Amino acid sequence: MEHIFFSVLLSLSMAAFAFSCYRRLVLVAIGKHEYRFDQPLARFKEMLVYALGQKRVMSRPFGLNHVVIFWAFLVLAVANLEFLVSGILPGLSFALLPEPLHDALAFLFDICSLAVLIAVAVAAVRRSINPPFPGARTCEAYFILSMIALLMLAFFGMNGALIASGVRTASPFTPVSGIFASLLSSCLAADQLNLAVSVFWWIHAVVLLGFMNYLPYSKHMHILTAIPNVFLRTMGKSNTQPREEFSEGNIFGAATVDQLTWKDLLDSFSCTECGRCHDSCPAAATGKALNPREVLHAIKENLLQNGTVLEKLAGDAQAERAVSLIGEGKKGATPESALWSCTSCGACMEACPVFIEHLPKIVKMRRHLVQMEAKFPDELLNLFENMEQRSNPWGMAPSERSKWSSQLELRPFVAGETEYLLFLGCSGAFDARNKQVSVALTRVLDAAGVSYGVLGREEKCCGESVRRLGNEYLFDLMARESVAQFREKGVTKVITQCPHCYNTLKNDFRQFGLELEVLHHSELIAGFLASGELQLEGKMEELGNLVLHDSCYLGRHNDVYQPPRSVVQAVTGTAAGEMERNLDKAFCCGAGGGRMWLEEHEGTPINRARVAEALALKPDTICVSCPFCMTMFEDGVKEVPGAGVQVKDLAELVAQALPKTSK
Amino acid sequence: MLVIACLKQVPDTTQVQIDPVTNTLVRDGIPFIVNPYDTHALEETLRLKDSHGLKSVALSMGPPNAEATLRKALALGVDRSILLSDRAFGGADTLSTSNVLAAAIRKLGESEEVGLVFCGKQTIDGDTAQVGPGIAVRLGYSQLTLVDRIEKLDLDAKTVTVRRKLEGRYEIVEARLPAMITVVRELNRPRYPTVPMRLASAKAEVESWSNEQLQLDVNSVGLKGSPTWVSRIFSPERQEGEIIGDGLNDPIAAARLLLDRLVQGDMLSV
Amino acid sequence: MSEPVKVKRPRGKARVIAGKCIACGARCQSVCPINGVEMSEQGEPVIETAKCIGCVKCVKACPAGALEMFYTPEELAIIASFEKHGGEEIDEEELERRSRVAAYKGVWVFVEQNDGEAAKVSWELTGVGRELADTLGVPLSAVIIGSGVDHLADTAFSYCADQAYMINDSVFRQYRTEPFLAAMCHLIEKHKPQVVLMGATGMGRDLAGAVATRVKTGLTADCTGLGIDAKGNLMQTRPAFGGNIMATIMCDRFRPQMATVRPHVMPMPQQRQGATGITIPESCPIPESSIFTRVLEVITDKGGKDKVDVAGAEFIVSGGRGLMAKENFALLEELAEELGGVVGGSRSAVDAGWLPQDRQVGQTGKTVRPKIYIACGISGAIQHLVGMQDSDVIVAINRDREAPIFEVATFGIVGDLFEVVPALTAGVREMKQLRS
Repeated sequence: MEHIFFSVLLSLSMAAFAFSCYRRLVLVAIGKHEYRFDQPLARFKEMLVYALGQKRVMSRPFGLNHVVIFWAFLVLAVANLEFLVSGILPGLSFALLPEPLHDALAFLFDICSLAVLIAVAVAAVRRSINPPFPGARTCEAYFILSMIALLMLAFFGMNGALIASGVRTASPFTPVSGIFASLLSSCLAADQLNLAVSVFWWIHAVVLLGFMNYLPYSKHMHILTAIPNVFLRTMGKSNTQPREEFSEGNIFGAATVDQLTWKDLLDSFSCTECGRCHDSCPAAATGKALNPREVLHAIKENLLQNGTVLEKLAGDAQAERAVSLIGEGKKGATPESALWSCTSCGACMEACPVFIEHLPKIVKMRRHLVQMEAKFPDELLNLFENMEQRSNPWGMAPSERSKWSSQLELRPFVAGETEYLLFLGCSGAFDARNKQVSVALTRVLDAAGVSYGVLGREEKCCGESVRRLGNEYLFDLMARESVAQFREKGVTKVITQCPHCYNTLKNDFRQFGLELEVLHHSELIAGFLASGELQLEGKMEELGNLVLHDSCYLGRHNDVYQPPRSVVQAVTGTAAGEMERNLDKAFCCGAGGGRMWLEEHEGTPINRARVAEALALKPDTICVSCPFCMTMFEDGVKEVPGAGVQVKDLAELVAQALPKTSK
Repeated sequence: MLVIACLKQVPDTTQVQIDPVTNTLVRDGIPFIVNPYDTHALEETLRLKDSHGLKSVALSMGPPNAEATLRKALALGVDRSILLSDRAFGGADTLSTSNVLAAAIRKLGESEEVGLVFCGKQTIDGDTAQVGPGIAVRLGYSQLTLVDRIEKLDLDAKTVTVRRKLEGRYEIVEARLPAMITVVRELNRPRYPTVPMRLASAKAEVESWSNEQLQLDVNSVGLKGSPTWVSRIFSPERQEGEIIGDGLNDPIAAARLLLDRLVQGDMLSV
Repeated sequence: MSEPVKVKRPRGKARVIAGKCIACGARCQSVCPINGVEMSEQGEPVIETAKCIGCVKCVKACPAGALEMFYTPEELAIIASFEKHGGEEIDEEELERRSRVAAYKGVWVFVEQNDGEAAKVSWELTGVGRELADTLGVPLSAVIIGSGVDHLADTAFSYCADQAYMINDSVFRQYRTEPFLAAMCHLIEKHKPQVVLMGATGMGRDLAGAVATRVKTGLTADCTGLGIDAKGNLMQTRPAFGGNIMATIMCDRFRPQMATVRPHVMPMPQQRQGATGITIPESCPIPESSIFTRVLEVITDKGGKDKVDVAGAEFIVSGGRGLMAKENFALLEELAEELGGVVGGSRSAVDAGWLPQDRQVGQTGKTVRPKIYIACGISGAIQHLVGMQDSDVIVAINRDREAPIFEVATFGIVGDLFEVVPALTAGVREMKQLRS
């Protein structure tokens, strides 16, 4: 009788669960098309490493706790399957297995359940004392923890009661259940024990099925979506943005959930609300409105609220009914100021254990604001006009571009005659401080005997800032021009001084059909030092205590972490001083994502925070490898009276260390 | 009622230089832009279109490639863009330019009443500030130059009240419509075109009127109708940066020297 | 006229001199009588040599001297033989032009005034007008239009004027285009001056453009130099293309020759107290009811300095990080006050909270173009330079000789701003005292 009742209950809850999942899937399907099934083997491997292997989860505090729960869950899934099967067909259970195997499984289940119980307790304590992010102490979170704990307790209760009532014999392979058995037998009469078995069994059953049905409606949806989300991740780095097709009638950027892609929407269901993106976000850390987790959460809420309406509609009707993803103080919307405070540093994406891609969503919303509404901070009007008319952010006359090198007699780039194109970038050509870096770099290249040429006045801005700021239309114009120019001149190998140019030439231009071999000067110099083609003189003692700052677009976006370090090592003879937040966890200087051209009105300036972090190490020199970082650090250091720190580009360090005889 | 913006396509002057060796203009790849002051004139017509439901028209006299400027105006939202282009209009100074523009406005006025004409206070290539008044005089419109704020537009009473920005003072002036208003940059912040508007403007029609439509005496337009002509161009004396005095050891003398230089060079008068 | 066997004087063909075209706007194409000039994408002429009739009109029209006539060697030989007999030909058109132009005599200066107080530029103009009048041998007249302005005639005489046309009527109490335009045109038509000068001020440029259009003559705006050529025509020199080039502009076929002149450019003449001249009273009756423009209010900046927009200021004293503290901006305020300017600053000064946001000059702040920009303790990061590099004069005061600000400065003082700025303030104050 009981098992018939259970069968009905199970069928109903399975149906309800399937329906819930279907409802969610249908919502995800509102999103625009995007192909994510290339390289299936590589994807599978990523899934093994990051989803099953929990590689990223473990890299942060309390990650191990999650690993315990995750793996115990996988193991217990087998136990629960048996539980459900035997609930319908009581005869069918692991008891049919050979004894050693059965014992091993029983032991595994027992220990795993205990491990989960402990991990859940740790998680609850941690959440109470040191929550992953402010506001993480939600009823939902505690409810889920209690459900898991209850499930484990019911499991032990059930097994304990079975042992205590003598149905099952006590075994050394189920030590925890054994303890529960002795507890139960000490406080319950024998006839009560049989009832206890039933009660615990039903508690276990109801909690299990209840939890399953609760999943799709909670942050624990990630149990279902996280693994596929890792499989569907952007292979490689998410360091570029999708192109848009500029023909009439198209919609540019995204202001509503249906204008995002299905993967964007899946991302929102995959968020585990661990708060790591928020922890690592430089904007959030300095008091800006941006919170990457909330950006995702808003997308999810918006989808849940409006998705059901949207899925039934299409075309104009859909567009009319869609509720904006962008707005102030509204549920399911991100404020404009939050979108504009993103530095595109990628720390959130690097931190996310399930490979949610925050940046593309932020850029898509910026694209909407710029391209559909022409709504953006006042300062950007100048920038956009300057970029469009004069191909540089300051609106300098293009004829001034070659002025920095007027004393240098640089060769123009000619395919066949010069191997590399030295692409200076706007900062390297116009900005007084960074012009010094350009000069230093040419000295280093000359010393290494590199064959290179420049475009001089013909060089154009790569358009990086414009793209990150969401003005894809303008970027498209600029990129097409540059790509055509590179093709015409036969450029194949490029040296850049700026990691932003580097990323755009290397990764963005590929979308325009141009594959370039792009080297940041740190990579090139590190190579020459390693091969002995570049000889340095002595150790540079005047640099003193040197601290290295990672550029986001070199490190996080392109995995160039080591070359700057080996160059510093070669110049100073010692390893570079490292800040607490370094390598993939490095804190942005504040200038990325077009923030270089925006005022920073909210909170404390990001560069001030980063400079303070560097100064805490009492350096004599701060070494950067990006012109934007240079500006931000120089500005930041000047604000600290008596800091007595010099900010140097890597190329300058090397130029300083060149043998005095070579010119 | 029409509100008209007069635009000029000008070379991007910051990029115009004289080659120090050959003493000729370096014009390689110098792009043409909309005269920056005119962008504010255009913005104001668009604002009046939005706020008062006026029909906005952009007008420009220039060579055929000035169409780009008018297309940009369409991208920003004007209802009509008209290019006034004819061989006979070439080489015009301000007097003959205002003749052509006034004729076009008169022609527009035949089918719909003209309320306001906006011009930038001057162009960056010529800096004359004369076409606006020229149009006003030729058409008998009220002339309001250097306007930095529209205080009130009363379409029923047919009056406009503006604030004019003059040296060291502002004037609040009321005038009768139709009025020709030249604007300073403080008037407004020009809008940026949305992408859908840009794409639409690429296909939209820029009307082109030649002297066939305007029927002006060929001796009153273009070079023939221009009393002034340029007899010579030359490089300004390049003022190389100069360090004055020894400011570290004798700041007072350095300051004095600097003031003398400024006064002698007629850069400063006290 | 022509004998059957007479050899015609070869007319040659026009051609473009490479590199000299300034793309002035197709003047050559416009004058070509046979449509023989096409314009390239770059706005340069392409001459269809086969069509060219050698009328030389395009060569004359070219402001840049980018067109020339060329001849075959045979033609050159014929020309050489002509030269031996030669002589200048004057056509009828030229004769008629000369007689029309000759009817205009005298140099006029429009005296700009506000409530009976003359703008200084008016006397700068009488100064340069004097020189022009002396060169031409004609009288210099001041044109005074206003209400309660009788006293200005004597001031005009003390500043070199020989005579003054005076219209004194209540309708002219405040400047409005319509009545002033009518009065000015009335005077010009009646007395026919050959040169009319006005200040390149808000009022001067408002009026000059209107007057030139009505009397159908040329106007050259914003001149920085005036002179008289050999034929007695006014040479008007002014910056063009944003000051990147200078152009000399002529208006020889029309009269009067009108020019507006930038204030502060011409030297102020010595005032000759007690000098006398002839006042010529004029009238131009205009009923108030026929004027539809009313000045409702005049707001002067004085007292409301905080509201002054740096973007429109003529003098800006700007401070950067070198100022060290908010209090130190008082030093800049003092200097700005003496110059009649405003205080601006770099981004770092604003970030530090030393100045309000609306005073920020630079990429993300205001773009300014004052007559004098004094940068104190500003290193000159490009973000700042792009906001002020178009200033007429840039003065940099900085301790660091290597600071990039010196690259754009017209004048630089390497020194401590805390010493230099007060010295400048004191200097300006002293000059003012000497003056009064």
